[in-house]
Amino acid sequence: MTADVEKRIPPVGRITLRGLGESETGLAFIAFIVMALLPIFVSGYSIYILPQYMLFGMMAMSLGLLWGFVGILSFGQAGFFALGAYTMGLAMQSDLGINPAYIGMLLSLVAGGVLAAVTGYFLFSAGVRATYFVLVTLALSIMVEQIAVSQSDITGGWNGMFIDRISLTFGGLGEISLNEDAPAYYAVLPVVVVTYALLRWLTSARFGKILAGIRENEDRMTALGFSISVYKTCAFALSGAIACFAGALYGTHANFVAPSLGGVLFSTEVVVWVAIGGRNSLLGALLGGILVATLSNYLSTITPEYWQLVLGLIFIVVIVFFTGGIAGAVAQLPRLWQSRS
Amino acid sequence: METAISVVVDATLITLVLALAAFGLAIIYGLVGVINMGHGAFLTLGAYLTWAATTSGIPFVLAIIIAAIGVGIVGLILEHLIIRHFYDKPFDTLLLTWAFFLVMTEIIKIVFGTDFRNVANPLPGAIDLGAVKIPIYRGMIGLVALALISGTAFVFYRTTLGIKIRAMIQNREVASLLGLDIARMYKLVFAIGACTAGLAGGLISPMLSVDPYIGNVFLVRSFFVVIVGGVGQLLGGTLVGSFFIGGSETLFALFSKQVFAQTVVFLLAIVILRFRPAGILRQR
Repeated sequence: MTADVEKRIPPVGRITLRGLGESETGLAFIAFIVMALLPIFVSGYSIYILPQYMLFGMMAMSLGLLWGFVGILSFGQAGFFALGAYTMGLAMQSDLGINPAYIGMLLSLVAGGVLAAVTGYFLFSAGVRATYFVLVTLALSIMVEQIAVSQSDITGGWNGMFIDRISLTFGGLGEISLNEDAPAYYAVLPVVVVTYALLRWLTSARFGKILAGIRENEDRMTALGFSISVYKTCAFALSGAIACFAGALYGTHANFVAPSLGGVLFSTEVVVWVAIGGRNSLLGALLGGILVATLSNYLSTITPEYWQLVLGLIFIVVIVFFTGGIAGAVAQLPRLWQSRS
Repeated sequence: METAISVVVDATLITLVLALAAFGLAIIYGLVGVINMGHGAFLTLGAYLTWAATTSGIPFVLAIIIAAIGVGIVGLILEHLIIRHFYDKPFDTLLLTWAFFLVMTEIIKIVFGTDFRNVANPLPGAIDLGAVKIPIYRGMIGLVALALISGTAFVFYRTTLGIKIRAMIQNREVASLLGLDIARMYKLVFAIGACTAGLAGGLISPMLSVDPYIGNVFLVRSFFVVIVGGVGQLLGGTLVGSFFIGGSETLFALFSKQVFAQTVVFLLAIVILRFRPAGILRQR
């Protein structure tokens, strides 16, 4: 069966690796070990704030999956992110007998996945072109923001919503509160690592190869009998669920969510992260999200306008000259080295 | 009865303002096929240039002309430096024009500051029609929008330039073989689109407080106007699209909050976009 499928699929196996190539796994190992050891060497504000950036990175991966591996771009990832944060906030306010943290996490996965699946199938089944999809997702994030503003009885409107830190309970075995910085850090990091590993596995499995096939040649994949709209919908639903889940964790970690979290500006910031980090590499997207968000936070306190200006210019340079972003440039390095010596 | 009249008047005025705001986008998207995500920045820049000109004592009419020319020049520079190399890659132009929006917004913040600015209303007062009062300036904007759109339609269908542009849209290769300088035509159309957006930004500025993101209010709505009306249908498409988006927003706002009405209209526009991707005017 598998061999049969392999034969049916056009030769895209190589193309799926056009990001960082074979070195990605090794680099990811190093990156995650550095992240795991970081709290030993630094403490204080960095350890407080880093999990939030890791969750931004997770949202960036959800976009990287779409953009790099399916070739569809969403300008609405922050809409899902905010939806997740609000879901978690509402779950934390409820009293259901079960630990609301788990309900919030589960609901956010479902909410993000269902919203993306419905929107995605609605559009993909009609073969809506990629540029219109960008506009619709842009509208989607505006709608999330508008609903958050207009339904102020539930969401707190412009004032936003406060969310308590969650604590993880293990039946009768005990409870870990994530109120302190270090436990929160070590709760978020594994989630990011598992998400990364899951996405790496999916993109290199049959599913990922079909997605890459769709990216490279939709007509051929249709002719081969694949239902393009179903696969695209699955990818978008997965992406929406991941972004929404990351948002749920972000909401409880930041203790707060406001409508602007789902807005257009934040949604497109994610696109900038992924473009700079490398749209064809999940690690590139993840690190792009973490690093650019860290830099933004640091430089915004010094020179907000000029930093955003420079970021915009870097974005232009990346689109015009380095389509693969930093990850693409890193992947090129060995080849440059070889051609020189 | 009175509410009915006031709703009709409101809907008409909103339709025309929206048509004005979307027209620059309709030109650039409809004629040269660039998904111009920088449209909002063009509008904002037009508004700020108008503010800068009027505060330095230049009369309003002259100020909006300065704004239109200024934004036209910025559009020309953008086209020449970047966009012209990417006409055959709509996805890249989408990202590049968004990058332009990011850069332009920051430049606006650096040059003009982030505070709210107000442009004095050049025509205060209202016309009393018994049942409703129409602010003179808003009525005027409506007339200007109509004049601008029909003027462009005249150029499009009745002049040599119009024939050239239509030839270019219909068949770029053949038009080029017949001696039409396609590169120059694209540049011209892009600059005219930017110019129109600048003019619209200037005209709208007295009705709102000007801030660096003022143009974004119109970005997605302008796109929906163009798509719902039908890409490339400058005259009817823009008006029908604006009527649909602006008019229905007025209607829904009667029953719910303004913000929620916008959400419903977006939802409707997405449904239309799915079932009639070529717009409601055109048969599939």
